[in-house]
Amino acid sequence: MSSTISAQTSPSAKVAENGRTPRAGKRDVWLVFWIVPAFYTAFGLIFFALARVMPPPRPDVTTDQMVHFFHAHALTIKIGFGILVLIVGGAGIANGIVAFHMKRMTVGSVMAYAYLGAMSVGALPGCLLVAFCFLTAVYRPGRDPQLLALLYDLGLLSYVGSLGCFSTAYFAFAVAILYDKNEIFPKWLAYVSIWQIVTEIMAVPVFVSKAGPFAWNGSIAFWMGVVVFGFWLSCVIVFLMKATELQPVDEPPLE
Amino acid sequence: MANAKQTAADFDSAAASSVTGTGRQGTVHTPGDGHMWVMVLGDLIIFGAYFIIFMVYRAMEPQEFLTSQEHLNINIGVLNTLVLLASSWFIARSVQAARAGDHARALRLTYLGGLCGVAFILIKAYEWSTKIAAGYTISSNDYFMFYYMLTGVHLFHVSLGLLILGVMVRELRNPRRRRMFMVESGATYWHMVDLLWIVIFALLYVMR
Repeated sequence: MSSTISAQTSPSAKVAENGRTPRAGKRDVWLVFWIVPAFYTAFGLIFFALARVMPPPRPDVTTDQMVHFFHAHALTIKIGFGILVLIVGGAGIANGIVAFHMKRMTVGSVMAYAYLGAMSVGALPGCLLVAFCFLTAVYRPGRDPQLLALLYDLGLLSYVGSLGCFSTAYFAFAVAILYDKNEIFPKWLAYVSIWQIVTEIMAVPVFVSKAGPFAWNGSIAFWMGVVVFGFWLSCVIVFLMKATELQPVDEPPLE
Repeated sequence: MANAKQTAADFDSAAASSVTGTGRQGTVHTPGDGHMWVMVLGDLIIFGAYFIIFMVYRAMEPQEFLTSQEHLNINIGVLNTLVLLASSWFIARSVQAARAGDHARALRLTYLGGLCGVAFILIKAYEWSTKIAAGYTISSNDYFMFYYMLTGVHLFHVSLGLLILGVMVRELRNPRRRRMFMVESGATYWHMVDLLWIVIFALLYVMR
């Protein structure tokens, strides 16, 4: 809101030609921006408090224990993932505003499209599939226990093990930031994105490991990834805000 | 020892150039300086966490880790360490040559450093293939999972380092570029890759 005031009290707004003078930003971009922290807060609440996939349930349990997991958490899974499938478009908005600011970079739009495409494909295994697996499992609780166990494994493997799309998106993001001369995002954010690729690589063994640090609930494959992702996401939100603040109000719409 | 001093000197000057770099913000558009130091220090923290987790699991199954470790060929590990140390030495010399204005020599030394990096990858690929052929795969036990993942993610860093050395080469070849902070940042990253390997080598191959 302070940005609005600064625009009104800044008579030199039109004088600055390099686009780096702090000004109001655009109203539509602000609207989209505020959806990002709101969506990720809801996303975190759903995954942590309701759907019970944060922290993920153990991979080294018996079929009976998997069935019990679905019975015990049926209601919260229905509420949590029911809301998620309704608001999951927020992920698209979050990716969209990143791509929007990437298109304002000197590198042109090719990396923005790579980021947007990779993130969009990644949302299917990384977020939606686990929701549909768990919702299907609690839809008919009397189902064959082996089928419930299958949905348990499929949901959690796809949720923690969807690696390649995100690595590609982080790589495109990093390359764009490093080449950009408009300084839309700080260069070090590119390196933080490289750490994200490192944590994705370290999660590859979830497909063979059933316990220990590289299992889908392990300290390396899961928790290190969560910590670095949390840091990355916080940085991205802060710098999206700065990029939106610094965007000149009279900048022409992108092609 | 002389090499160690040289490397330390490179680190110091890279840090110094980062200080001057912030003073001319308008002209700094490319990676380097303080940004590269965020990368290096953050990466060391992340790897530090991996190493601590390795030590915790090693403490839980000391016998399994020790018997598994005997299947590694320490000679190949030593060879890889020497190759990477040599590459770091070439890169440190390259930075010195670039500082002295001898860009042709700096370019040659960077190529030599990169060649050592490629040799490291080839040796590692050979080592992995012999281990896999002998039946020791990622799912054999916790030790081998750590072995493949720590060396694998380090290989990713080496590959990224080769890309960064490529950027250094581009800088050194073009008389209109030749920005010292770029060369120094590349060298800083490459030395980090070297440092990480020395710790990985100590943890996986040497520690009894």
